[in-house]
Amino acid sequence: MEHPLEEKGRLSRNIDPCILVIFGATGDLTGRKLNPALYNLGREGMLPPNFACVGFARREKTNAQFREEVKTEISTYSRVKPIDEKFWTHFQDQFFYHQSAFDDDEGYKALAVLLKQLDAQFATRGNRVFYLSVQPKYFPVIIEKLRQHGLIYDVHQTTDRWSRVIIEKPFGHDVNSAAELQIEISKYLDETQIYRIDHYLGKETVQNLLVFRFANSIFESLWNYKHIDHVQITVAEDIGIGTRGRFFEEEGLLRDIVQNHMMQLLSLVAMEPPVNLSATAIRDEKVKVLQSIRPLAVQEFEHSVIRGQYGPGFINGESVIGYRQEENVSPTSNIETYAALKLHIDNWRWAGVPFYLRGGKRLPKRGTEIAVIFKDAPGVLFQHRGQKNDPNVLAMRIQPDEGISMKINCKVPGPSSPIQPVKMDFRYGSYFGQTPPEAYERLIWDCILGDSTLFARSDEVAQSWQILTPILDYWHNQTETNFPNYESGSWGPKAADKMLGENRAWRIL
Amino acid sequence: MTIQQIVNPADIEKQLQQIWEGLVKENKMRASLFNLIVYNQLSPRTDYIRNIVQKIIEKFPCRILFVSFDPDASQNYLKTAVSVVAPSGTETAIACDNIDIGVAGDNLQRVPFLLLPHIIPDLPVYLLWAEDPSSEHALFQPLLSMADRVIFDSESADNLLSFAKTLLDLHTTQKIDIADLNWARTEGWRDLLASTFDSEEKIAQLKSLKNLEISYNARETEFFCHLKIQSMYLLAWLSSQIGWKFLSSQKNASELSFLFTVSGEPQTFHQESIFFIRSQTWEKLGSGTIISVNLESQDGHTYQCGRILQQYHHVSIQISMPCQCDLPYRFVLGQTATGQSLVKEICTKGTSEHYVTMLKELLLIDRDHLC
Repeated sequence: MEHPLEEKGRLSRNIDPCILVIFGATGDLTGRKLNPALYNLGREGMLPPNFACVGFARREKTNAQFREEVKTEISTYSRVKPIDEKFWTHFQDQFFYHQSAFDDDEGYKALAVLLKQLDAQFATRGNRVFYLSVQPKYFPVIIEKLRQHGLIYDVHQTTDRWSRVIIEKPFGHDVNSAAELQIEISKYLDETQIYRIDHYLGKETVQNLLVFRFANSIFESLWNYKHIDHVQITVAEDIGIGTRGRFFEEEGLLRDIVQNHMMQLLSLVAMEPPVNLSATAIRDEKVKVLQSIRPLAVQEFEHSVIRGQYGPGFINGESVIGYRQEENVSPTSNIETYAALKLHIDNWRWAGVPFYLRGGKRLPKRGTEIAVIFKDAPGVLFQHRGQKNDPNVLAMRIQPDEGISMKINCKVPGPSSPIQPVKMDFRYGSYFGQTPPEAYERLIWDCILGDSTLFARSDEVAQSWQILTPILDYWHNQTETNFPNYESGSWGPKAADKMLGENRAWRIL
Repeated sequence: MTIQQIVNPADIEKQLQQIWEGLVKENKMRASLFNLIVYNQLSPRTDYIRNIVQKIIEKFPCRILFVSFDPDASQNYLKTAVSVVAPSGTETAIACDNIDIGVAGDNLQRVPFLLLPHIIPDLPVYLLWAEDPSSEHALFQPLLSMADRVIFDSESADNLLSFAKTLLDLHTTQKIDIADLNWARTEGWRDLLASTFDSEEKIAQLKSLKNLEISYNARETEFFCHLKIQSMYLLAWLSSQIGWKFLSSQKNASELSFLFTVSGEPQTFHQESIFFIRSQTWEKLGSGTIISVNLESQDGHTYQCGRILQQYHHVSIQISMPCQCDLPYRFVLGQTATGQSLVKEICTKGTSEHYVTMLKELLLIDRDHLC
């Protein structure tokens, strides 16, 4: 129901008081992303005035120690530096630490007591967000315990307060495990209470995709098979797997990046206009795209799915080790650190338009972009002796340096008429004069508001696994003999270049 | 325009950004039409290459990635520096990024990895390879794979024949767009001949040409020692476009002579003609530059085209017939004078078809390694 006192689009949405409980409060993600996000939300007045945060983890720690650590993390990783001491002095009093194992009933009992006290102290009205920043194996047990101890409410019986659970990726390991996990958590949670986070969806440029497509008439009329030659989605990282060797040996890049981030980007760029901007309408359209992706036949795996693993090479002039030499990685590992896929969306809009997805570690630079490559203009006038002009490209940079650029052909000034591609560039940072908020800020804020638009729904996750699980199974059964097959600091294996054919090439980011 | 700042490779973009932020008050505009990767070995020629790059940015701003390899260094090193450069001597608001990479020893293998993250997406990548492409070089193929177009300078070639073979191979088998600075240097003379022989009647005179003499400036400098190349290019170009048939060549102390079969109307007309490339020495004119081209047709028409000593970029053209002598007129080799033909050649899309056919002709004409 619409709030009678809120003017849509003008006032900030009414935000309920609440307590945020972070499971895995001493972990890397919490330190690098969640704590700085909370600090920035608080500093900018985006958090409810009645708010508290409880860090839940296994290590012994006092509130004072926890607050000191949070401060250090904010000072190190916040997008706004230095820390605002005056603000922090007051804000830190809203941070608490609770020590317990994830499966310890006593710990949950004590948590319930603490949350009650904080409700009284901060007037948070029993509203809860539980952020599961833990290994996926703990998801079911934490949710079960929370329910058992009355910390997760039954949405059908409790209407005066709410509880929501944010679940970090990966949601499942393949189609079966994702389905099992879904069944398990559905015992205790309604779908409206589950917020499957994919931080890519919190990025400004990703959110702007819908605005860009559906608030500008010039692009949407070209957004189809008649005008678009192909689409490239790239998620490139220059870093290796670092200390995540053990995790990566189990996951690999397809699970780590493609199944979630890249499939989300694909569905946003290819979806039909939703009937309205509600979470349900948008997510319905995204699911339809995923359902329209043509399943890959086994015989296509050789040509339409390329995997790679980085060997030694150079990043920024420094030599770096190969994947198999990384800590906690098998010296004969068969895990992919690079994946490239060619997908087709069998619907009216995208018939015959290939979508090329590419993601990898230890590529020359960090960057995520969606590039729409348009068909060539008829070569009647400006193709001199068969020399084709560059195709128009619309590139949406998701990170870093968020923005949109358009490549067009232009006459070089002067009496002769050589044609040169030029670039029109819109940069968020320089145009709006501010750094866009971190994705986690937006997503935590949305969850407190109860807006699940930017979170993945269970059928989206299931459909994505449906597409990729056959590839994972195939890879599992086919040992790659030429690993490592790309040097650190290069743009990936040669086979990925061949996948695009003679007339197309991967973009340089 | 700004002083070079030595930076850690990881901080190149950050440092450039800082320099630009410092230039805000000067109203400088950061511009780039393409990426220009330049590779050269440190030598007296390096300044000459930098001068070419300066000429390029005067016409077209671009991101310069200038790689200098020091073959004589006693120690390995890899140094990176950044600066912002602008056309010299003008008040333009346009300026562009300059990334300098100095390298020695084994660190050469790191260069492609260092360059890749600094290529501006969506803009063409031009490679100015200032070394001989026919000699083995560890960096050649990796840089080639990044480039949309490669610019060579046959002046750097040890052997013109090998150079021509290599370039033809790159163009035909690897489908790489190529350009050559020495070819660009002859542009003015090619324009002159094309505009002088502008009718079917005059083309017919060229086909059955009786005499041709090309003279070049034989003054050697540190940068230029392959002085006959431009003249050879012009001869090979004429031969390939007009359809003379090469028979043999001879090398004497101060001249090269070439025996061709020329043909004309009636179709049965065939005759052997000897064409010459001769040396002269002009002090202030660029080394290897063509000084004059004199032609004589079978029917006695003579075309004497020679640079004017006091105005190097002006060519006096005098056409004489057995019964008539025209007043001489001037042709200005304007673009060559300002270096713009080099810039044009660098920035023009595709490969000149005339250049490719000229290279093929050169394989015949220079088969005895005259250059």
